[in-house]
Amino acid sequence: MAFDLGTPVNTALLLYILYSIQRIIFPSNSVPQSVPNEFKNGYTWMPKSHPPTLLYQTYTPKTLEPFNGKEGKRILLAIKGVVYDVTAGRNFYGPEGMYANFAGRDASRGMAKQSFDEEMLTPIDQPLDKLEDLTAEEIENMKGWMEHFSSKYIVCGKLVENDAV
Amino acid sequence: MALSDYLVTDDLTIILALVAAGLFLLHNLYKPQALVHPILLGRQSDVARVRNPSESAVYRNYGTGMLGRFPLRPTKDQQVLLDLVKPDADAPRTLWSTKITNPQLRERAANFGAGLVRVAGLVPQEFNVLLLLNDGIEFIISDLALASHSVPSFTLSSLSLLSSVLESHPPSLIITEAEFLPHLLELIYDSNESEHHSIVVVGDVSASQYRQVQNVKIVHWDDIERQGASLDKPILSTPEPSDVFTVAFYETPSGGYDGVQLTHENITAGVAATRALVPPSSALSPLDTIVSTHSLSTPYGRAIAYTALFEGTGFATVDSTKLIKPEGAASLTGLKDLRTSGSYHISSPTILFVHPHHLSSLTDTVLEEARKSSWLLYNFAWRHKLAGILEGYITKQSLWDRLVFDGARVKVMGKGAGTVRAVMVSGAPLEAQALTPSRIALSVPVINVHSHPLAAGPIFASHALDLQTFPPAASSSPSASAADAYAFTYLAPVGPPSVNVEVKLTGVDDAAVEGGADPVGALHVRGPSVGRPLSAEEEAAEEDQRGWRITGERAKVAPNGTFKVSVAGKA
Repeated sequence: MAFDLGTPVNTALLLYILYSIQRIIFPSNSVPQSVPNEFKNGYTWMPKSHPPTLLYQTYTPKTLEPFNGKEGKRILLAIKGVVYDVTAGRNFYGPEGMYANFAGRDASRGMAKQSFDEEMLTPIDQPLDKLEDLTAEEIENMKGWMEHFSSKYIVCGKLVENDAV
Repeated sequence: MALSDYLVTDDLTIILALVAAGLFLLHNLYKPQALVHPILLGRQSDVARVRNPSESAVYRNYGTGMLGRFPLRPTKDQQVLLDLVKPDADAPRTLWSTKITNPQLRERAANFGAGLVRVAGLVPQEFNVLLLLNDGIEFIISDLALASHSVPSFTLSSLSLLSSVLESHPPSLIITEAEFLPHLLELIYDSNESEHHSIVVVGDVSASQYRQVQNVKIVHWDDIERQGASLDKPILSTPEPSDVFTVAFYETPSGGYDGVQLTHENITAGVAATRALVPPSSALSPLDTIVSTHSLSTPYGRAIAYTALFEGTGFATVDSTKLIKPEGAASLTGLKDLRTSGSYHISSPTILFVHPHHLSSLTDTVLEEARKSSWLLYNFAWRHKLAGILEGYITKQSLWDRLVFDGARVKVMGKGAGTVRAVMVSGAPLEAQALTPSRIALSVPVINVHSHPLAAGPIFASHALDLQTFPPAASSSPSASAADAYAFTYLAPVGPPSVNVEVKLTGVDDAAVEGGADPVGALHVRGPSVGRPLSAEEEAAEEDQRGWRITGERAKVAPNGTFKVSVAGKA
């Protein structure tokens, strides 16, 4: 070069200036090969997965029972044949919660009678609780709980007899 | 030599350091900011939390939300069709070639309605009227008059449906153009109908030779309007928003035809959705002029026209929307077609509602002109504009526009180069690769819209400021048909559902979706702007399942909530 810079510092600065000028006059038009999954990594991006959506399924007392929150599973609970996903309320219905009895079970009688005792639950291999001996007031109470659950949690299935599937 | 000998600095170093610092700031901080933050483009639809087996979840626009209510009308005062012509907005604007104010338009509609009752013997709620008109002010006046008298009107998306419709749904009155009168009379004569018809003719009849047919009364449009103006206007009962005001017949991909019943609520909801296509910061106003290539005989074209009427903008259509063309006239496409809107007296267009072939023709011509002017500058301009788009930024006022593209646009679009501020594309599949050149050539928001003959108003509409460009993705599902595979790989995404529409897909592979794949299935829509097809079966009993309409198209959802639609029967 005719222009002698003489020092490495000047050479380095000159190279940086030439590089910057090149980037400004010839901007990059490269498109990344794969679409990034984070918006920090590019303007054109796609989230990795769809927003979570539950599949509406038909459960029996036997298939509902595993969903009691143990080992990180979802927590489901049924009232009058409607199955709710109460995983968001793990504090209440999870393994250490106050109402853990209801997890994975038909909680209709307990909701009606406002009790969390074991005797409110029917064993899994027996037919579903017909709820015939409830008073009108208890049925009102149960319906109130169903409304509360419908607004707070997700309706994700229905509960039928063991042999109905 | 010691290290300090290498690091000797002098005056030149200071100069170079300042220049380097300046360039560093310029390069890193002067980056253009995206028009919309990419985080918003990652969640464009709101998704239901539960889905039924073999169906996808229900998707709605993110702005509306799963719990929100659908907008039914632009404002609460617009209950029926005539309300869309606001009575208190009296600034004149040009519709096609007529300069008219809203009160004058309402008056003409009232005159025409009164004239129809007296001259043609129109009986509200017993008559049906077939509108065989090209787009023009007569169409609007007839439509408004019939809607206020609670008389359903029929429209056809193409003339090939005419004989079938005359047979299956014989109208009591037909309003048509003068040049079509001979053909129409032949048709009625041939079909040997015993129905008494009346025909109202727009335009000059004396020139055409027609054979008089018995039982058919021919009246002139101008006569009716003149006579109606001299009559006392009766007090009309206001129709209910849920009354059907029109039935729009369209061809189905399987070769038959179907009709969709539109109520007043459908059209007001369609107008509300069409208004929402432009971003709120640049909403429609009376200063705008809309040019549409969608015929008024289709529900979507009708919604665009009534949006223009509601907002007080100028409005015109192009030649290809004509239902009745002169004998032997070639049908125009692309830029030639768009230029036919110049034959009307509207001011320079600001918003274009066009088909993809218009957009591609316009883009190609602009880029060709730009390339011809200066090859080197064009390449620089393209490179810089593309770099901006990859960052999410596009503007019409950049240096490269001034140097290269403005000149090309003026040569191609004339005064429209400076006034066009948004382009909505719908009516046919749009390829993803065609979007970026269009964005660079026009440098305005190009919005991909998906419409369907069943809905007044758009079904899907992409975000106005969304400039994301995805590479063609390999279709992973092996069972997709060839048309689906092509559509889902190469077509541009049409965006999330419109503000007052919810969609779901049926026939979805549950195992694949649970495993994280994109749901693919038949598209069903529901919403206040979706009309009821004549072929619809009995409504389902439950509230949840009522109102879903089958579109006959297939669609795929991406994780960011945008859809890609594969139109049935077309590649």
